[in-house]
Amino acid sequence: MILVIGGVHAGKTEFVKNCFKLSDTEILEASETENFQNAKCLRNYHILIKKLCNENADFLEFTKRLIQENPDCIIITNEIGCGIVPIDQSERLWREACGKSACLLAEHAEKVIRMICGIPTVIKGECL
Amino acid sequence: MMILITGGSKCGKSSLAETLLNDISEQKYYLATMKPFGEEAQKAIIRHQKMRKEKNFITIEQYIDIDKIRIPAHSAVLLECMGNLCANEMFRDDTIFYPVEKIIRNLKSLYSATDMLVIVTNEVGMDGISYSAGTMQYLSAMAELNQNTAQMADTVIECVCGIPLVMKGEIPC
Repeated sequence: MILVIGGVHAGKTEFVKNCFKLSDTEILEASETENFQNAKCLRNYHILIKKLCNENADFLEFTKRLIQENPDCIIITNEIGCGIVPIDQSERLWREACGKSACLLAEHAEKVIRMICGIPTVIKGECL
Repeated sequence: MMILITGGSKCGKSSLAETLLNDISEQKYYLATMKPFGEEAQKAIIRHQKMRKEKNFITIEQYIDIDKIRIPAHSAVLLECMGNLCANEMFRDDTIFYPVEKIIRNLKSLYSATDMLVIVTNEVGMDGISYSAGTMQYLSAMAELNQNTAQMADTVIECVCGIPLVMKGEIPC
């Protein structure tokens, strides 16, 4: 598993496309993908977490299942936890859920890449 | 030694801070700055208490005036967290106090009484949202506090999805 994390429009998807030679059709929206077991790459994982939170689903259980059932998947997620604590409770819980899920994904990923200004930094695992 | 740990929400800052203090033989103090208001705060406090269980921390709750705590010489202190301390010092008695100088002074005083001070802070300025004037002042205060504390600290670590990134100095063995 590979985790790519960074702020909004930091160049994550573009980087994944180029680095791992994936076509547009191989990069799927995580929240719209039923058959996640076969996905090469799931993007916007934080939106999937929002959907799971809205459904009161167990986002950590789902993330564990994904790690088990698709261990080679490339996951792209936004970092959304570096701002002011939201006033709205559901926004707060979503933000925390994203942080916890990212920690879980990173723990099991062989490689974690952090994107800033389109520049990838490998923060876990071997260099690219 | 002073270590500053920063990062976003639920990035593993607390568990990293506690891990760094695992092998300390001196008495460890957990300086909690979060006011226990509301269900979420209670939950967070219970979670943090559970994490510190059997790690031999003595918990001191001090929401403002952190220089007032009394601890024996050569203790180790984990301060959690700067975000709450800053808000508590800032928004009191229906007024806004700009708290940077006071907090830095109190941190220095606290540090002079300890051998090891680990400070957990938060990254709060990266959501691109314009808030009310008071909140913008809070962002400004946090930015200034983080920079000043980072200058004083021997080691500065950013935590990203549970992974420690060393920004200054090194992680003590």
